[in-house]
Amino acid sequence: MSNTSRRAFVRKLLLAPETAIAPAGERTLVCIFLRGAADTLNMVVPRGDDEYYRLRPTLAIAASDGLRLDDFYAFHPNLAPLLPAFNEGRLGIVQAVGTDNPTGSHFEAQDQMEHGESYGHLIGGGWLGRYLRTRSAEVTPLSAVTIGSSIPESLRGAPTASAIESIEELQIKTPGNDAAAVSSILSAMYSAEVGMVGQAGKATLDLLWRVESLRGAAYSPEGGAVYLDDDFSHGLREIARLIKAQVGLEVACLDLGGWDTHFFQGSTSGLQAALIQQLAGGLAAFDRDLGAQRNRVTTLVLTEFGRRTYENSSLGTDHGRGFALFALGGMVKGGKIHGQWPGLVEESSSQTDSLNPVGPSGLKVLIDYRSVLSEVLTKFLGHRELNQVFPNFNPQPVDLI
Amino acid sequence: MNSTRRALLKAIGLLGATLPFTACERLISSLAQQSIPESLTLPDSSEIDPSFHLLSRAAYGPWPGDVDRVRAMGAEAWIEEQLNPENIDDTFCDLRARRFETIWHEPGTCYEYKKPVLREEITRHTLLRALYSKRQLLEVMVGFWTDHLNINLEKGDCIYLKPSDDRLVIRAHALGKFRDLIRASATSPAMLVYLDGKENQKKEPSDVPNENYARELLELHTLGVDGGYTQTDVYEAARSLTGWKLRTGWRKGTVYFDQTLHDDGEKHILGQVIPAGGGEHDVDRLVEIASNHPATAHHIATKLTRRFVSEDPPASLVQRLASVFTATDGDIKSLLRTLLTSDEFKAARGLKFKRPFQYIASCLRALGADTHAHQPLIEYLQRMGQGPFQYPTPDGYPDRIASWLGTLLWRWNFAFSAVSNHVPTVTVPLEQLAQAIGGSTPFQPAQLVAYFIGRRASDAELGPLRAYQNQDHAELVSLVLASPAFQRC
Repeated sequence: MSNTSRRAFVRKLLLAPETAIAPAGERTLVCIFLRGAADTLNMVVPRGDDEYYRLRPTLAIAASDGLRLDDFYAFHPNLAPLLPAFNEGRLGIVQAVGTDNPTGSHFEAQDQMEHGESYGHLIGGGWLGRYLRTRSAEVTPLSAVTIGSSIPESLRGAPTASAIESIEELQIKTPGNDAAAVSSILSAMYSAEVGMVGQAGKATLDLLWRVESLRGAAYSPEGGAVYLDDDFSHGLREIARLIKAQVGLEVACLDLGGWDTHFFQGSTSGLQAALIQQLAGGLAAFDRDLGAQRNRVTTLVLTEFGRRTYENSSLGTDHGRGFALFALGGMVKGGKIHGQWPGLVEESSSQTDSLNPVGPSGLKVLIDYRSVLSEVLTKFLGHRELNQVFPNFNPQPVDLI
Repeated sequence: MNSTRRALLKAIGLLGATLPFTACERLISSLAQQSIPESLTLPDSSEIDPSFHLLSRAAYGPWPGDVDRVRAMGAEAWIEEQLNPENIDDTFCDLRARRFETIWHEPGTCYEYKKPVLREEITRHTLLRALYSKRQLLEVMVGFWTDHLNINLEKGDCIYLKPSDDRLVIRAHALGKFRDLIRASATSPAMLVYLDGKENQKKEPSDVPNENYARELLELHTLGVDGGYTQTDVYEAARSLTGWKLRTGWRKGTVYFDQTLHDDGEKHILGQVIPAGGGEHDVDRLVEIASNHPATAHHIATKLTRRFVSEDPPASLVQRLASVFTATDGDIKSLLRTLLTSDEFKAARGLKFKRPFQYIASCLRALGADTHAHQPLIEYLQRMGQGPFQYPTPDGYPDRIASWLGTLLWRWNFAFSAVSNHVPTVTVPLEQLAQAIGGSTPFQPAQLVAYFIGRRASDAELGPLRAYQNQDHAELVSLVLASPAFQRC
């Protein structure tokens, strides 16, 4: 079977004529999740608060080691690669963001955040899944991509979502080199299958067809960007390729795990410092590589919650509450730390409010995480139906975008 | 028969010592390959055959001839047989899986090995047992508890300590009493490292406990996140668990209790009191309180039902299992007996999406493949995101379809490679298998679907396969393994 007739055949089976694929992915939202609850107090250091140094006698980042951001805050030294983006106004920080989750559980808090819920009010699907379902543009097979092996909760319910590690992998390999014929059979079989498995099969075949042209072409990043040789940077490089290839990528997800630093967290060097280096190196290369495309990409860095303000007896930090959220991109109002500094006094049960219920203590949450996400959805992606994504939620202005 | 097998084992053991490794594996393959029957009875109903269904859920899929065997002996007899694995001769599997040195070490004596060796041996051991053990239900439950009490090899020293955890915690108690399993896990060296228990201590009055293990004990291992515990319960549980340490230096990695690092005050947990002065027995009381809590019965019943029956566990069955849990003091065999003979189980055929490990295992078992589970095979598991002992967080590999739908392409590519013997170190006896399925007319799509899916093929399935049938035989079989129906069980 020739290539063109195979394509025609596949298209017929999928009922997806070429003309039906509208230009989507004009703008791409990249969501990075720091799994394990990152200690952002040691990343965006409140060097102007003496209490910070009192609570963290061994873990604190000394004022002399930090990279000055303003009169109060400093970056962890390993965030140095991101300093240009901050100074040039593309990197913004929102302080004291969080959920109202009282369980202190990684999974509960991650799920709640990825589902876009308030505690105990299950909505169904992930917040990105609901966004992709309710926005007006046409869905394409590469609307939502996650770099990794499994699809995150945030994309649950998305019309399509694919988990890949690199573009080169996206092909069917048969010993007889008859991938085209095999694809036709698979397409027929999965088209006859109702439900999630059938949908996933069709989406997979459609995606293979879309990326055929990208495969094999050598990729050289722009602007002299150099990606580190680790999974996180590799993932960002693949996202950059997909963005530049304009294959309709609207949402990309990528994880960086290992932030659950209960034990021997380190300060300017050590366990967390190595992770910060990975994070900063990857994001800085990505920012440089995107070059002229920066205005159509926003990258958010989320984590399920922050950590306690004080160090524990095993030179680590336990589960806390609020965290500092990073946002990178040409549309971001960067170069500043948004939001108030809540101070480091651990709130007691008598001081709780709706965002700070009884639960693990830590940095007080001042901004509901959905306020930040809402702003990105409305101001960056131009989404009009916020109540479909975050029902019964009134966002407070953050002024990030 | 048994004595001849033992003699055979011994002879191979002796030979193995003098032969290079690969030659030894070839010898084992030639002697210990379980045979494929000359002919197989193919299911002919439009519903999945009940014996096929049982083998798809309570085993890693049927080996050629297994369906005929279960049909002949009856499902209940097969379940009873499987619930008493010590009575099942497993010589052929042992020949492949027992010879890895590191899996037999006592806690802590693995430090002399290099990490890649440890990683490879425990991974290959796990996959080989799943593929070849005749104690299939035991292996399925080992998989279940390995997820439930997840430990990632890559954290800290876990890679040195997980082999003994696998043997002395998971395998030893997989079909035993739930409380014994949890108690063994609580002070297992690997768990003390994985969830920071060894760092949980009270030396100075101002020391704050490390809550990591205590939290997961209540949230994941026993009551469940909705089990009604409070943050104070977590804190008090963490206090009860202070003082368990791992030796360094001589006998590195073994466990001891240091009374001077234990918070020996009174604790209040889940409405019960652990009196002051309990010392190292606090952990026993804590595990007892948590295991006996009604929320734990419900949580374990729900998880078992989700794994064996449906992603949306039927409430009726969960209730029954929770009652069995309470009535039998958490007897895992009793739970499985009730579960596997329930109407809810029997009715839920072909609806579960296979996770990658189960997909690969069920492919290779259905094909009667010969492998020693070397890296090329393991890589497929890793690529699909389910390498054994590689899940990073304590909740274990997810049991929900949505997490695994992104792996279809890799499943297809595995099927095409494996059946045509393009996965290095995996051999599929395709002609022999085809003969057993189809007799004089092998490679008929209808027969292949009946054999691999366990029911009569639908027209929608046969159409595309017939369109392909004049081409490569291996690829035709691969297409059945790549089909939507084989992704489910």
